[in-house]
Parts: sequence; structure tokens; C-alpha cells
Amino acid sequence: MSFDLIETILFALLTIGIVGGAVGVVFLNRITGAALLMAFTFLCNAGMFVLLGAETIAAFQVLIYVGAITVLILYGVMFTPQQERPYGLFFQKQTPWAALFVAPIGIFVALFAFSFRDSENPSTKGGDLVPLATSVFRDFAFPFEVASVLLLAAMIGAIVLVKRDDE
Amino acid sequence: MPLGPFGLDPAIWAVLRLVIAVLLAVGLVFNGALAQIYLERKIQAIIQDRVGPIHTGPWGLLQTLADAVKLLGKEDIRARLTDRWFFLAAPAFVFSPMLASYVVIPFAPGVVGADLNIGLLYLTTLGSMTVLGIVIAGWASNNKYSLIGGLRSAGQLISYEVPQILSLVTVVLVVGSLSLTQIVDSQPGIFINLLVLPLAFVTYFIAGLAETNRNPFDLPEAESELVAGFLTEYSGMRWGLFFVAEYGEVTVVSSIVTTLWFGGWHGPWTDIHPLVGPALGVLWFTLKTYFFVLVFMWIRATLPRFRIDQLMSLCWKFLIPVTLTNLMVTAVLLLAFPDDKLPVAIANWVLLVLFAAAVPYLQRRRLAALRQRLATRRLSLATADRPS
Repeated sequence: MSFDLIETILFALLTIGIVGGAVGVVFLNRITGAALLMAFTFLCNAGMFVLLGAETIAAFQVLIYVGAITVLILYGVMFTPQQERPYGLFFQKQTPWAALFVAPIGIFVALFAFSFRDSENPSTKGGDLVPLATSVFRDFAFPFEVASVLLLAAMIGAIVLVKRDDE
Repeated sequence: MPLGPFGLDPAIWAVLRLVIAVLLAVGLVFNGALAQIYLERKIQAIIQDRVGPIHTGPWGLLQTLADAVKLLGKEDIRARLTDRWFFLAAPAFVFSPMLASYVVIPFAPGVVGADLNIGLLYLTTLGSMTVLGIVIAGWASNNKYSLIGGLRSAGQLISYEVPQILSLVTVVLVVGSLSLTQIVDSQPGIFINLLVLPLAFVTYFIAGLAETNRNPFDLPEAESELVAGFLTEYSGMRWGLFFVAEYGEVTVVSSIVTTLWFGGWHGPWTDIHPLVGPALGVLWFTLKTYFFVLVFMWIRATLPRFRIDQLMSLCWKFLIPVTLTNLMVTAVLLLAFPDDKLPVAIANWVLLVLFAAAVPYLQRRRLAALRQRLATRRLSLATADRPS
């Protein structure tokens, strides 16, 4: 048994986790269960990043997606009024349409995935702290700032929308 | 074939090392929790002029052990309408991130599970995962008190994460590394980071109190309003796991404080002998950490609980602006004087004094505004009541 074998096994487990979790999110009828499975998928994704040697991105993945976004989604689920009709009513009656839209995208995704088969391994230091910081704050500083201004505008908009008049 | 330590195959050694490390961490967490519960009882007793546990064992030392055995022996009760899998999984969701935090804590030079170069980021990440477990526990219990406790906890933890991380970032800026070992190495002798960044320490400590759900921020389990918050439906060892996780979290926050601001393992005589030195380092580290654990208990026995709106306004209207100001000033000064910590230190002390002086002023203004509002309301009520 060697480290390569362990890595392959881990990769297989994480892949099963990601695909299984994603399938569960789509097909599960219990909406809280779906939200939790999504957190599980994010965690497996973070595991993939660790396998690729990008621990920083893995940490941010867990910090933001598992720690914050999943909790926000759970909040949304818990505060949405329960309806009497079954959840599956709306989204599960459009199978032909869904297939029509998914199939072309699926073909492209598959082609894209198989195009990596003969390429060399990615460098294991791609997601390390220093290269990441240099690329975000030096090479791509302008897009980064634009994105943060966009988020700020969205936040101010949300605050203005929910602000009550009587205060 | 290359051989690892003790003549073992490296692949086997990697697994074995993991098992040993996890067992050590589990032992550390459970024994630490036992010791801390005993300390908590004794210290609260001393502060409240009681004697605390005295009957079981010498000075009541075995009392918490007896309680732990009682918890383990309890029947595992689950109410029928709880959400089965979530209810069973929630304690693990809270417990395991806390356990995983022990990987990066540097107890002494060389005595550390893994010296990650993103150690501090890893710790905050794991801290943020606890929220999920608490929300699930509140949701799965199918009990309104649990649900309110869980949601309160989520709001509190997500809000206080912001000043916590901002305070940590200030230290990272000054030290220039996220690795906990390098942060310790950057504070030799008496030149600890507390002298440079006292304001970041104060804000981190307050945010840490809130992150661990301790008094005065223990709203998620406020007994006087919510029975026991998200813990209401739990009993036996599942409840015990939540409790152990809370004490473990307190230890983690205390050791972060020790590492970042108080020089970690540094202390007298750590370099006299290659074997004695690390042992002494562990001793200094433990003593410093437990000092802060004791401060946590002291605060718990002294301060009353916050109201939920006070909790939120303290975070969003006071702590976040303070930490943001601190971060900006520190960053600008570090850009201007890259090799000198003195300007940062002076600015930080000045800011600390300014903010400490501003607190009574703000409080007085808030009270005046409150009185004003009450007076106008009374006036309007009086005019409305008047028969016309």
C-alpha cells in the first residue's frame, strides 16, 4: 500500500460523496435534508481541493459555503411557510423540457471533462496562500474591487428594501 | 523501501500517527472538560461565597467524574416526533470540528499535530462549522424553545465571526504569517503581541466569549427564557457531547489567545535541555491557556446576560467598527513603516484608550435618548387619554 493508492481511494470516496450528495439534493423530498446534503457536497469539494494541494481554497470553501451559506439556506427553509401541496408538484412535471435543456449542456461538460485526459497533472501549489494572494490582490486587483463594489451595492439595496418607514 | 519512524512502512505510520493523534486529542478534550467543570464549580462557589463540591473524593475532586459516569449510564432518550437522523447527528456536527481544531495548536516547539501554513484560517473555518450543528440540533428537536435557541445561536455566531476574524487579521498583518508556530516564534521573550496589539486582543476576547456561547453571551441556552435552548430535548451522553464541545471550544479560544497575544509556549528555561525544554513549553502553554479559561469562568460568575438586541448592537454597532478601524490603521502604518512595530503599538494603545473612554459617553447618550423616547411616549399617551 502506498500513498498513491490512498490518494486514489480518497479521490474515489470524495467523488462518490460529491455526486451522491448532489443527486440527493435534487431528489430528496425533505427540504432540510437537501440543504444538509448540499453542505456535505461542499465539504467533499473542499476535500478535493486539499487533494489538489490547495488548502487555502479548501478552507475558504468550508468557511463560506458550509459555515455561512448553508446556514443562510437553512434559515430560509425554516422561515418559509409550509404549504399543503407536495414539494414535487412544480418541478417534477417538466421532464421532457428539462431533458431538452440539460442534454446539450451535458454534452459540452462531458467533452470538457474528457479533454483533460491526456494533459499533465496540474501543479500542486496552485492554490497556495502566497500565489493566491498575489493573483487576487495584484494581478486581478481591479476585477476583485469591482466584484466587492457590486456586493456592497447589493447589500445596500437589501438594507434599503427591508428598512421600515416608521423608524 | 524507505522506512518511517520505528521501522514502519510510511503508509502504515501515517495511519497509525492519525489514530494516535485522534486518541490523544480525545483524551485531552475529555479530561480537560472534566477538569474545567470542576474548576467552574469551585470558582463560581468561591465567587458566590459557597463551598462547591466537597463530598465526593478529596476536595470534591471526583464529583465531575461521578457526573460523567452518571451521564454515560443514562438511557438514550429520543422524543418520538424529533427528526431522527438530524437529532442523532447534531452532537457529532458540533463535537468533531472542535476536536479537529486541536490539530494545529502548537503546545511546544515540535509538539504540534500539523504545522499548517494556514493554521489560523483552519481554526476559524472549524469554528464556523459549529453553527451548522447547533442549527440542526435546534431544528431536529421539534421544540419551539430548541428552534429559537438554535436560530439565536446561528445569528450570534455568524455576527461575531466578523469581529473575531478582523481581530485575527490584524495580528496576521503584524506577524506576516498564518502559521501558528511562526506567530509564536515572532514573540520572543517579553515582546509579546499584547504589547503591540492590545485592542485586537480585547475585541477578540469579547468575540471569543460570544463564539463559545459563554456568559454574558449565552443566549442560545438562556435558562430563564428558553428552558435550555437547543439542548432542551437532549439528555445523557448526547447532551454531554454538546457540553464537552463547549468546554473544548473554550480551551481552543483560550489557546488561540495564548498563541497570538501571549507568546505561546515561551517562558523561562525552555531552552535548557532538548527534552526538558518542550515539556516546560507544554507546561507554560497549559498554564497560560488555563489562566484564560479561568478568566472565562470569572466573567461567567460576574456578569449578567445580554438581551438579544443588545448583543446584536454591541457586535454590529461597536465591535465591527472598532475592529475595522483598527485593521485599517494597522495596515496603513505597516505600509508606512514596514520594519517597525512601534508605530502600530502606539496607535493601537491610543485607539484602545480612546474607545475605552468613549464607552461611558456612548452609554450616557443612549440612555438619554431612551429617556427622551419614553417621555414623549408618556406625553402622547397622556394627551390621548384626556377626555375631550
